[in-house]
Amino acid sequence: MPATALPATSPPAALRQALLADRTRTLTQLYARAFPAVQRLVRRQGGSAEDAQDVFQDALVVLVEQAVAGTLMLTASAGTYVVGVSRHLWQHELRRRARLPHQPLPDDPGLLLAEAPAAEEPVFAVLDYVQQLGEKCREVLLAFYYFQQPLTQIAARHGYRSVRSATVQKFKCLERLREKVRAVFTPEFAD
Amino acid sequence: MRPELDRLHLIEQQLLQTPAALPASEWHLRQLFDGELTADAALQRQLYHGLHQAGRQQLKRELRTIHTQLYGSPGPRWLAALRRCWPW
Repeated sequence: MPATALPATSPPAALRQALLADRTRTLTQLYARAFPAVQRLVRRQGGSAEDAQDVFQDALVVLVEQAVAGTLMLTASAGTYVVGVSRHLWQHELRRRARLPHQPLPDDPGLLLAEAPAAEEPVFAVLDYVQQLGEKCREVLLAFYYFQQPLTQIAARHGYRSVRSATVQKFKCLERLREKVRAVFTPEFAD
Repeated sequence: MRPELDRLHLIEQQLLQTPAALPASEWHLRQLFDGELTADAALQRQLYHGLHQAGRQQLKRELRTIHTQLYGSPGPRWLAALRRCWPW
């Protein structure tokens, strides 16, 4: 699929397509377009270059997750949206620092945006077992479950002959992850 | 697919609420007759949660790489954390 330049104003569907076609290129364009404004904003309000980078990247994570999930609602350009989310995250961070000056930003920007209490984390991290998977399995699972790439794209990228083969491979990888996790899984997570 | 993979597929349809998901009443019925279905679904939900976390980590790595390519290295992150705690 040929990569296309991201227009300055692009509807959510076009942004989603651009992310699916060439994520690095799309994010690089968005980064170059919107980061300077966030950096100015954060520096003007006493933040560091690292602060600007953190809030901007967290805002991009929010944008990507909403775009690929099809839940993004844009009333302006994607760049303007990211600047707005960054401003919100930075204001939140400033208030948090005023209360708790020695703690770093939390890892989940979505929680900050929603102002929701953090969900209780499982006592063991499935994340560790994802990292232990082979590279191909990890890529297939993340492409499908996080980046929400269609199986046709995953099949083409990883050399599977058909969508059916890619589907079977995806479930084999999920089964592999499941076997690794099941050994330490405890019934308290059951509904 | 093997029956084990079909089972993962069935649970996935339910958890991700795909168009092929069973009606709630039928799913509950299956849970009644299949003593391990509820626990298997809970485990699979944890897998998706872990995959989401791993995906987010990968995306953040990609964004840091893009930042470095556009603006150069911001310096070690521990130094930024240190400056935040002791802003002399």
